[in-house]
Amino acid sequence: MADRELIALLKKIPWFESLSQEYLERMVGIAVLRQVRAGEALFREGDKEDYLYVVLEGRIALEIFVPHKGKVRINTCEQHEVFGWSSVTPVVHQRTAGATAVIDSTVVGLDAEKLRQLCDEDHDLGYRVMRRLANVVASRLLVTRLQLLDMFADPEEMKNA
Amino acid sequence: MTPTLLPQPATHTAGHHDTPLTPDWAEIVAITPEADGIATLWLKFTDPQVEQQYHFQPGQFNMLYVPGVGEAAISMSSDPDDERRLVGHTVRFVGNVTRAIGRLKIGDQLGVRGPFGTAWPMKTVEGRDLVVACGGIGLPPLRPALYHVVRNRERYGKVTLLYGARTSKDLLYPGEYEAWRKADITVEATVDRGDEHWDGRVGVVPMWFYNFRLDPRNTIVLTCGPEIMIRFVIYEALARRVPTDRIYVSLERNMKCGQGSCGHCQMGPYFVCKDGPVFPFSALAKYINVEEY
Repeated sequence: MADRELIALLKKIPWFESLSQEYLERMVGIAVLRQVRAGEALFREGDKEDYLYVVLEGRIALEIFVPHKGKVRINTCEQHEVFGWSSVTPVVHQRTAGATAVIDSTVVGLDAEKLRQLCDEDHDLGYRVMRRLANVVASRLLVTRLQLLDMFADPEEMKNA
Repeated sequence: MTPTLLPQPATHTAGHHDTPLTPDWAEIVAITPEADGIATLWLKFTDPQVEQQYHFQPGQFNMLYVPGVGEAAISMSSDPDDERRLVGHTVRFVGNVTRAIGRLKIGDQLGVRGPFGTAWPMKTVEGRDLVVACGGIGLPPLRPALYHVVRNRERYGKVTLLYGARTSKDLLYPGEYEAWRKADITVEATVDRGDEHWDGRVGVVPMWFYNFRLDPRNTIVLTCGPEIMIRFVIYEALARRVPTDRIYVSLERNMKCGQGSCGHCQMGPYFVCKDGPVFPFSALAKYINVEEY
């Protein structure tokens, strides 16, 4: 795919919104497109963190292997959602969950190491990227909290209804 | 400033207008199992006059009475314009009364008082886009509203149903989603816990707001479900600049009398049974996130 087409694609993704043309071109320079078939693993738990991904089309499941339970699907990422965010953090160096396509999907991957370099070289870009990543982390944390709360369990107040 | 779109006032259309504490009697004519511990009971009033007079609006509830056990407030989950004139209640069998209801069989009778409470403002919101955000047993009180939309589809703009449940087995009415989709309603279901049988979304209802764009000038949000979910749905709607008087919430409280006399369901200045259960969030904003309430 030509860079121009990829830029047009990225512009449609809220995560890249309001990035200047120059920054978008830098993103395209470190981006790869990947197509994954339903059931195909994009990466596995324990793999080296190499790419930050955005779903262009389809649905990607994040799964953690639990002994005696198998793979537990903890979240899914829909069109335009970001996953693999920890690849851009300085501490985490291996995947803490696996990613598998639930249906045929297309994702764009940003080379995590190069993205970190771009952020180090240009702190304005770095701030924009990290600010967006903070939103991703916050929303992922909220989902996890709500799942932990087990909202649909029997409410105490109804026990004597 | 936009005027608050207040819900319809409560109306009582069953038999005992002057004695609302006296139940009418209805026979269970069918039971539809919906999920583990949840079923829909289809009721037919035994008095033909009551059957003829009875009419409810989407979002209202009845007090269902099991003699010797007690009453429980249950929202109607069926089509208000059901030609068979059956009234459906989707019940989760978790308390003393609802467990007793769960033990009833086809042919048994129940006492019914109602309909009580305010309704989803279906007339007021005509011409608007609707986002129906609900979770778990919060879908049944909204199903009559969806039936109303299907019957009167041309009166509404874009309609989106966001529905969440604990697991795929807990999703209610899955057999109806296709019919709703055919009526040009976007139906999106999500579950807290995925499994190999579920190829849909795993996550929570409030996060769906990140996956579509709504027009805050023209969108009405109707929400019902666990209060924690409602709270975050409201946060997401407000973050997208939907005005507080265009977010409607159905609350569940300990309703007893159904007419604002006993005070069991009081929330701030409101009796949820009479002033609710459907409120515009603008009326609740002071109370809904306060621990004491």
